[in-house]
Amino acid sequence: MKLFDKNIDRKLVEYAVLHHRKITIVMLVVTAILASFIPKVQVDTDPENMLSSDEPVRIYHHKMKEKFAIYDLVVLGVVNEENRNGVFNPETLSKVFELTEFVKALNWEEDGKKVGVVDVEVMAPSEVDHVSNLGAGTISFEWLMKNPPKTQQQADELKLKAKSNPLLTDTVFSNDDQAVAIYIPLTSKDVGYRVYIEINKHLAEKYSGSQEKFYLAGLPIAEDTFGVEMFLQMSISAPLAMLVVFLLLYFFFRKLILIFSPMIVAIVSIVCTMGLLIGTGHPIHIMTSMIPIFLMPIAVVDSVHILSEFFDRYTKEKGRRETIVDVMHELFIPMFYTSLTSAAGFASLALTPIPPVQVFGLFVAAGIMIAWLCTVTFVPAYIMSIKEKTLAGFDQSSSQLSRENPLARLLHLLGRFVFKRAKLILVISLLLVIISGVGISKIQVNDNPVKWFTITHPIRVADIELNKHFGGTYMSYLILEEKAQEVDIPVYAQELSEEFVLEIPKWKLAGYVEIETIAAQMNELFLKLSKTATSREELLMAVFDQAYELSFDAQSDQEVETWDVVGEYFGLMNESLKPFKQPENLRYMSRLQQRLSQSGYVGKSNSLSDIVKKVHQELVDGEEENFKIPDSSNAVAQCLMQYQSGHKPYDLWHFVTNDYRHANIWLQLTSGDNKDMQQVISIVDEFVTENPLPDNIELNWAGLTYINVVWQQKMVFGMLQSFAGSFLVVFVMMVILFRSVGWGLLCMAPLTITILLIYGATGFLGKDYDMPTAVLSSLTLGMAVDFAIHFIQRVRTTYAQTGSWRGTNKVMFGEPARAISRNVIVIAIGFLPLLAAGLVPYRTVGVMLCCIMALSGSITLILLPAMIKIWRRKLIKQCYSVKCASCNCYLCSVVAISIVAMVLLGVEQYIESDWKILAGIAGVIVAILLVICRLITHRNKCKDIHGHKNNEE
Amino acid sequence: MGNSQTALFVVLFLCINACAKEIPALSADKIVTKANIAAYYQASDGRAKVNMEIVNSRGDVKVREFIILRKDITDGGDQKFYVYFQRPADIRRMVFMVHKHVDKENEDDRWLYLPSLDLVNRIASGDKRTSFVGSDYFYEDVSGRSLSADTHELLAQDEEYYIVRNIPKYPEEVEFSYYDMNIDKQTFLPMSILFYDKKQVLYRKIEVVKSGEVQLYPTVFEVLVTNLSTKNITRMRFSQIKYDIDLPDIFSERYLRRPPRKFLR
Repeated sequence: MKLFDKNIDRKLVEYAVLHHRKITIVMLVVTAILASFIPKVQVDTDPENMLSSDEPVRIYHHKMKEKFAIYDLVVLGVVNEENRNGVFNPETLSKVFELTEFVKALNWEEDGKKVGVVDVEVMAPSEVDHVSNLGAGTISFEWLMKNPPKTQQQADELKLKAKSNPLLTDTVFSNDDQAVAIYIPLTSKDVGYRVYIEINKHLAEKYSGSQEKFYLAGLPIAEDTFGVEMFLQMSISAPLAMLVVFLLLYFFFRKLILIFSPMIVAIVSIVCTMGLLIGTGHPIHIMTSMIPIFLMPIAVVDSVHILSEFFDRYTKEKGRRETIVDVMHELFIPMFYTSLTSAAGFASLALTPIPPVQVFGLFVAAGIMIAWLCTVTFVPAYIMSIKEKTLAGFDQSSSQLSRENPLARLLHLLGRFVFKRAKLILVISLLLVIISGVGISKIQVNDNPVKWFTITHPIRVADIELNKHFGGTYMSYLILEEKAQEVDIPVYAQELSEEFVLEIPKWKLAGYVEIETIAAQMNELFLKLSKTATSREELLMAVFDQAYELSFDAQSDQEVETWDVVGEYFGLMNESLKPFKQPENLRYMSRLQQRLSQSGYVGKSNSLSDIVKKVHQELVDGEEENFKIPDSSNAVAQCLMQYQSGHKPYDLWHFVTNDYRHANIWLQLTSGDNKDMQQVISIVDEFVTENPLPDNIELNWAGLTYINVVWQQKMVFGMLQSFAGSFLVVFVMMVILFRSVGWGLLCMAPLTITILLIYGATGFLGKDYDMPTAVLSSLTLGMAVDFAIHFIQRVRTTYAQTGSWRGTNKVMFGEPARAISRNVIVIAIGFLPLLAAGLVPYRTVGVMLCCIMALSGSITLILLPAMIKIWRRKLIKQCYSVKCASCNCYLCSVVAISIVAMVLLGVEQYIESDWKILAGIAGVIVAILLVICRLITHRNKCKDIHGHKNNEE
Repeated sequence: MGNSQTALFVVLFLCINACAKEIPALSADKIVTKANIAAYYQASDGRAKVNMEIVNSRGDVKVREFIILRKDITDGGDQKFYVYFQRPADIRRMVFMVHKHVDKENEDDRWLYLPSLDLVNRIASGDKRTSFVGSDYFYEDVSGRSLSADTHELLAQDEEYYIVRNIPKYPEEVEFSYYDMNIDKQTFLPMSILFYDKKQVLYRKIEVVKSGEVQLYPTVFEVLVTNLSTKNITRMRFSQIKYDIDLPDIFSERYLRRPPRKFLR
């Protein structure tokens, strides 16, 4: 390595050994300083923050929430499966009534603002209107449940009323009559947990043991509750994992005093990293909360290598000092590289366009380097601070134990088998790779924050129960809106004026007096005003106003009527500019909703068109056949005016903006799985392709369920990209480390196969590819390459010493294989306590870590020696000196191409350029680099090397 | 005016000034009766054009315009209202009509005419405290709440106002627990009405922003209704106000479809 002084490792270790006290103190002081930031921790469990705050989809979502006064909703479901009448009985309904009153009061003053439940927007049986046609041209507007019914008969009447309103079916009342829901809007998502706790407390105090079951669901509580439980989990799982790792280390090394060092390294690097994270003002997000769990194995691994080696080499004669210097010399380069590659693997996450993942990647990378620094300085210092006396008797027990234990014997056998059956192993590996490929093709990208809870968690149970009864507790909003358009007003006015003139004969026929003079006067006025008007609306309203003013000068009542009808023409033209007063657009919405309800993914949808239909039905005669959109936009407007004559006139503005240019279809989904939301999106896309949107109308999505899909898509492709990037980084580093393309490729084999197997299995098992699963690919890369580096580095030094592959193999399956196996076992088992976690992502991490360690370890030990044996002739030919490598045109070209590809991957996300153009540019750069490679590797100094090679051949 | 009459007038005037401080000049019931007449029964009939602005919490404004015609049967007793919509254009010609009956047994008759559906609907008796065409004004506010629905209590008075608390006799029928009226001592117009919810929290208020005289009758020109819980406001401006217009009986179903043009101008 020319990168630094050849003896830097020796110098560093000797310094550490000499000044072990100083090092320990410095380390502790730095740790204490960083730890002091930790109490300032802030939590952020909002999956929305997976997208940066300036992400267009998020901005749009918030704009729409504001525009339609949409709040994040919690659903309180009351289910009565015992009563013959379901929830329609006096007792249940009075409980529902009381609960509604209770939740309406769940708000608090905070910094002068009211936070908690938005009382006026609560939706419940006692908070909705009932409009009905009583027959004989009489309509009635009343609260559906002003007071809870006192008798069963009253409850039955209520049931009839409720059932007659399709707006309530599957939303407030379940179709099977067994459930009723209270929709609780929150001022913001972060009060979700508090509201959840308060309601649960109330339910426990008042209704425990009652016939009804009560469930609370909705993304806001799931997300907020997750945050609270996440901390709990962090304070249980991480220490538990640490304890198990500690016990395993004790099992292997039997020297309590010795195994404290990896634990200290782990704690120091975790505390420092978390301190840095919090100190730099980052909140703890679900992603960053996993930093300790990810850092722990990585931090422990290097010290275990040192201990393992120290354990095997220590003799009383040699002493701790000489032994540790020896061990460190042996391990310094591999440890440096393993740390660097792991760090690079995580740092590459910074390329994903998801802020919490970026922060996570960068801080884990920083933590790895902190751990490395601690390992190379503190571990030797720590060993030095142990008295030689304490280590007495250590040599026999240790060496003896490690050479003759079952693990050692097993590894020995394995070594022999691997050497003999190299080809078979390769064939089996290839088969596994192919099978994994099939598995990977089956991978299902999916996530659902509610499923972060285990199946028995109350939130999950509520989710399942309520979605069984209702249209769904997952909300998404389909927004139809008018596109902004440039209108040439004089042109518009000219056209309208021509149309207007055509109307005159009709009015004349209808008997309007003086119609010609008045119409001509109005037409003239209209054209005159059009020259100064800034919008169509302004122009039409001005003409409408003028007609009214002018009617005061009319000579007779009949003449007033003429002014009226002419003025009205322009007034109506203004109304006709509002797309969501037009029956055809409402019918379009209706058809779209129908398609969605047939899909099975959308349990219920409510929109302006449903309101118009219902009001129209009741206004006309209450008969089913009049549940339809009337034919004129005036009729639509008049129906809406009636809807607004209820107790909650402002409810209308959840479905349409008051300029009637934006409409909102509220979709309730029974599943919050991103894959299901994705289905809904594609159904809508399909519908729109088959039934083009009305002119000038565009369609957009909002809602938490939709946002989750967006960040997931970003995550999947971002992760893939960053993984490809880090793969290349690691590969280039390996080629440089081993100064050989062949060895570099070999080094990548275990991690490639591990990842293929892991994700292949994920595909076969039907486990969703979600956020934790995606992030673990970086960990896999870091861990698997670690083992390979240690293994290959040792193979090469051993081969240089023994000169025989068989001999090398034998040595390798001694101490080095033991070190790897110990590491595998410690970490694989160490993280199994995560399986006890109540939160699914933590379990996933536990299982995956275990598999990753077991697989990458065994693949390194089985496949690598087999591959080395098969390709030994080729591998041996590679020369390792710096000079030789610098003259290798092939190596130079591979590195050049990899680097260009790496840069391309990184740059691609930030430049909105066509792939083809980027690829073209990259091609040119590669060509230039290849020429440079050729020139460098064929420079004068290289001539003797090339000549030497030619002679050999 | 004869001397004796002048003398009597002076005596009366002095007495009012002198007695005012010792005994309340009027009982609460008397005050609200007068206020009711000032607010709803000026002259024997009248008309006004109303411009109504409904502003939601986001500041979006909706405008409605209508003409109100009113005819009293007896002062403080039954009366009839005819509300003819002019704006927006697509609800033009819509009519809302009320035959108000003050005795408790006889509920108000209310009709609605929807021209685009050519439908005349009677609105069932029942809850009158629903929104008047999407505003923060209630149907009941249009025709006035029956005096007999509440008990009245004079809370306080100062130079300008009587403050009267009104407590509903049937609290389960309404969403408020009581409302306080500030009644102008001169005109007897209720200048503000404050509604308190079941938790005694002020949640809705009606305030007279501008008032004056028309044909010598104290008259309200602008009213502001604020819903404190939804943060919405409704502003109503009255113009083209005329009293004693000799309205014939146009308050029948027949006139819903054929509006009385003459009186709507």
